[in-house]
Amino acid sequence: MHPVFRLVNRNLTISLNMGFVIWQVIFPVIYIFVAGFAYTALIHNVPFGTRNLDYPAFIASGMIGFNIMNSTLISGIIIWNDRRHGMFEQILVGPFTRAQYILSNVYTIGIIGLFSAGLITAIGYPLFFKSVEFNVLTVPLVVFAAITGAILFGSIASIISTRLKSSEGFNVVINTVFLFFAFVSTAFYPAQGAPPVLATAFYFNPLTYLVDVVRAGIFGNFTATVGYEMLVLLAGALVLFGIATKLLSRLEI
Amino acid sequence: MLCVEARSLSKSYGDVVAVDSVDLVVEPGKIFGFLGPNGAGKTTTIKLLTTLIAPSSGTIKILGTDALKDPLGARRRVGVVLQQPSYEPNLTVEKALDKYGMMWNVDGGTRKRRVEELLTAFDLKDIRKKKNDDISIGQRRRVQVAREFMHEMDLLFLDEPTVGLDPSARRALLDYIKGRVRGGLTIFFTTHILEEAEYLCDEIAIINRGRIVAIDTPDELRKKFGRKKTIKVHVEGVRDLSGVLRDVGPHDVSYDGGTVITLHSADSERALVRILQVLSSNNIEVEDLSVVPTSLEEIFLKVVRDSEGQGDASGI
Ligand SMILES: Nc1ncnc2c1ncn2[C@@H]1O[C@H](COP(=O)(O)OP(=O)(O)OP(=O)(O)O)[C@@H](O)[C@H]1O
Ligand SMILES: [Mg+2]
Repeated sequence: MHPVFRLVNRNLTISLNMGFVIWQVIFPVIYIFVAGFAYTALIHNVPFGTRNLDYPAFIASGMIGFNIMNSTLISGIIIWNDRRHGMFEQILVGPFTRAQYILSNVYTIGIIGLFSAGLITAIGYPLFFKSVEFNVLTVPLVVFAAITGAILFGSIASIISTRLKSSEGFNVVINTVFLFFAFVSTAFYPAQGAPPVLATAFYFNPLTYLVDVVRAGIFGNFTATVGYEMLVLLAGALVLFGIATKLLSRLEI
Repeated sequence: MLCVEARSLSKSYGDVVAVDSVDLVVEPGKIFGFLGPNGAGKTTTIKLLTTLIAPSSGTIKILGTDALKDPLGARRRVGVVLQQPSYEPNLTVEKALDKYGMMWNVDGGTRKRRVEELLTAFDLKDIRKKKNDDISIGQRRRVQVAREFMHEMDLLFLDEPTVGLDPSARRALLDYIKGRVRGGLTIFFTTHILEEAEYLCDEIAIINRGRIVAIDTPDELRKKFGRKKTIKVHVEGVRDLSGVLRDVGPHDVSYDGGTVITLHSADSERALVRILQVLSSNNIEVEDLSVVPTSLEEIFLKVVRDSEGQGDASGI
């Protein structure tokens, strides 16, 4: 097996424990089924392109993006733990290069991001199947969103993990950042109708782009705006990945 | 082919010269002991030799491969147990061993066999199902050392592997290492415990402040630095003898402030006669007298002290 895949194997082994899977499933299920239906009383329809979606379908699709983002915390946690528990150095005195270590993290988040997207699609499917409009772009768009989103957020988590020293600091910072991303985005509510300041803030948030692309795929609404959002997502992923790689390759031992 | 060949190896951290023009040669099938006080540069040397950090200057060849040009190639048949702990907190002991073997591309069947062997050899059978997070620090160290034997290698670096091990675990580890060396493995080993070095090593280098200050076989070191005998004189009653001992003359005398006077001298007979004269002229009775051949520990302390330019005057 190629060294990168051996590292991916090990990454998945140490991160895919029962706790993680439960967290990955329970949290979105609560959002989709509890919040989704509870808010239906308040929000009947969400305007989406030329048509309306019901709120459970809207939030279920938003949760796909949210879960991709959340799952990438894993990459930060892996790097964080490897540094804290000495495995970073141990791997680097083994049959691996830094580049392979970094690459293995990318693959790991890619896999976990896709797994998360698939999982939430399956869980949320009953809610949005009425509105789904499958076409040739559905799968490519969702996969594109899952992979670029995973790399983008995984890079953010990695950057934070290389910059911080104390473990409380790591948890507080990463949770605050991700909480901000989650709630100042179109994952839970549409930009239309939000106060202008907030609506603008939404578009300074990569999760908005991620969620928009996922929705465009699922609800068959590919527009020029979505194309532009994909470019932003890709550019953001590349830039942040570049920074994360630079920081990781310079990480002092 | 030499296992380790380092020439004029230096590493500075800002103003601190952690390793200063070190030359090292380790021959195959040997256990090379690397001794030195805290902060001497042992770990830095190991990090340099295992390509974890880059030297400020110098060259390194590991198993014939230029470690600076081809670090990955140089590490291919090298095991490393670093001084700092390393573990995956949520893996069980047996899983940690198995996954480590997987990382080294060892096939499943071999892994399975080796896990069993190592669990036995390192007395880990009782805790095989426990997570690394839930075992004691000494047990974790044992897992860390055992883990390194999951893969094939020709050269193994061990940075204070016995720290935190109880005496029987320590002895078991040393004997295990000896066994592996008979099987063809070469070991580069650091320790603070001189008996360990004596028990294990074919060759010993002593490093202080980044510089190698002595390098030889334990026997040669003893011959070179251990001609002096150590004589302990126990006197009766407690009183301050510092003033009296000043009359002993140019011998290396140290005094613990109580009843024990220690004497190191190549010319021990004359020194002893002199000290007894001084004691009797001061009406101090000698209760006990013992002659100790110089231990490696004393050689170590002396070599380190000499390298710091303090000479023989201060006591041990
Ligand atoms: N990353 C670093 N940055 C700055 N100085 C360092 C660094 N690592 C080591 N040093 C310094 O280099 C010197 C050698 O340290 P090293 O860790 O090699 O000592 P050692 O012989 O292994 O000591 P010990 O017996 O305590 O393990 C020390 O003065 C130490 O302070
Ligand atoms: Mg050290």
